[in-house]
Amino acid sequence: MATIVETKELLETIVASVVAGVGITVVFSIAIWGVARFADLGRDERPMAAAAAAALAGLALVATLGAVVFGIVVMTSK
Amino acid sequence: MSSDVILVIVVGTALVFDFTNGFHDTANVVATSISTGAARPGVAIGMAALLNFVGAFISISVAATVANDVVDAAAITPTVVFAGLIGAIAWNLITWSFGLPSSSSHALIGGVVGSAVAAAGFDAVIGEGLVGKVLIPAVVAPILSLLVAGIAIGLIYRIVGRQRPGMVTRGFRYGQLVSGGMLALAHGTNDAQKTMGVITLALIANGTLDASADPPTWVIVSAATAIALGTYSGGWRIIRTTGTRIIKMDAAQGFSAQGAGAAVILASTHFGFPLSTTHVINGGVIGAGAGKRVSAVRWGVAGNIVTAWLLTLPAAAAIGALAYRATAIFGSGTLGPVLVTLLSLSLIVAVFARRSRRGAPIPVS
Repeated sequence: MATIVETKELLETIVASVVAGVGITVVFSIAIWGVARFADLGRDERPMAAAAAAALAGLALVATLGAVVFGIVVMTSK
Repeated sequence: MSSDVILVIVVGTALVFDFTNGFHDTANVVATSISTGAARPGVAIGMAALLNFVGAFISISVAATVANDVVDAAAITPTVVFAGLIGAIAWNLITWSFGLPSSSSHALIGGVVGSAVAAAGFDAVIGEGLVGKVLIPAVVAPILSLLVAGIAIGLIYRIVGRQRPGMVTRGFRYGQLVSGGMLALAHGTNDAQKTMGVITLALIANGTLDASADPPTWVIVSAATAIALGTYSGGWRIIRTTGTRIIKMDAAQGFSAQGAGAAVILASTHFGFPLSTTHVINGGVIGAGAGKRVSAVRWGVAGNIVTAWLLTLPAAAAIGALAYRATAIFGSGTLGPVLVTLLSLSLIVAVFARRSRRGAPIPVS
């Protein structure tokens, strides 16, 4: 079977798919969580906590955009 | 002269296949965005068509993989390619008619394998290529995206489950615009190249191009245009199946299905492991439903889809073989391809007319 299917490439595909697929959804979810918390904490007049939530959301959004750019680079380099 | 006429027919048939590929696979890209309200149908389909067109220009490196890896190149003639395309187009239209999202890539491979076997016997099939490049990925792809989407949706609900639903839904709808765009780009890159590969193969078999030639610019432009036009035409029946009939999707599920699909397609592209975009997206949709609640998935619909997947290769191969035999009855001249083309066009018109009589395209809310 190993000669028919490149087992190493198959395993790498599975691991990369799980890491990227789960990773990007989790990171984007954190961004949404951060935005939602920022709105709630801002309303509750807790500016420091709101700023922290906004910073977390910003970082998560940047990470998401980075993943998108990486995906486009992968596509264009093949 | 005769071979040039056959070549023109092959190129025309390949572009028709490319159109049906876009038409059939629109659902892969837009169904989840439309069903969750992330984008209006016209906007989603227009964006998908544009990104499919752009995607076709991104890379040409895998353009001839389809036929080279599964069928002996010595068995390929323009007539074999023609008959294979007829098999693929016919199966795409049959599954569209029933609203089933089956793989256009597998239909193309099945059609070419069937016509090659009819022309040169089973020795023409490269068994290792068929198993390693087609059959095993066909099993791995949907299971992988199902698992990724299932895990992802579970984590999403844990992270944002206590937040206000309105904001969460809006956030994931924005996310879907990006994940849907990535899918459209990946689809254009993968699927338009298959048609470019088939046309290039026919040009090589006809002696018009050298064996090592890249697809000419006119082939790339025409393949990109055909798949974009097909995508813009929108296969509403399949959009409805993927978008609403497998599960009733919320925006988070749509995002996790698309995110899982894009990740699996890109990872496989990166490691050179070919997968069907149709299998990936539908596996993701089922996973996103099952990850929330197993009973949320309409397993009867999912079963019909899997049945169509299992039938795609043998059915397209059988039609491809039949088309080759029918063409060969009239010798090696142009009469066979011309008559089979006319017969196929008549059947296409009949299928569309039959479906049109059953009412307007199915609205997707």
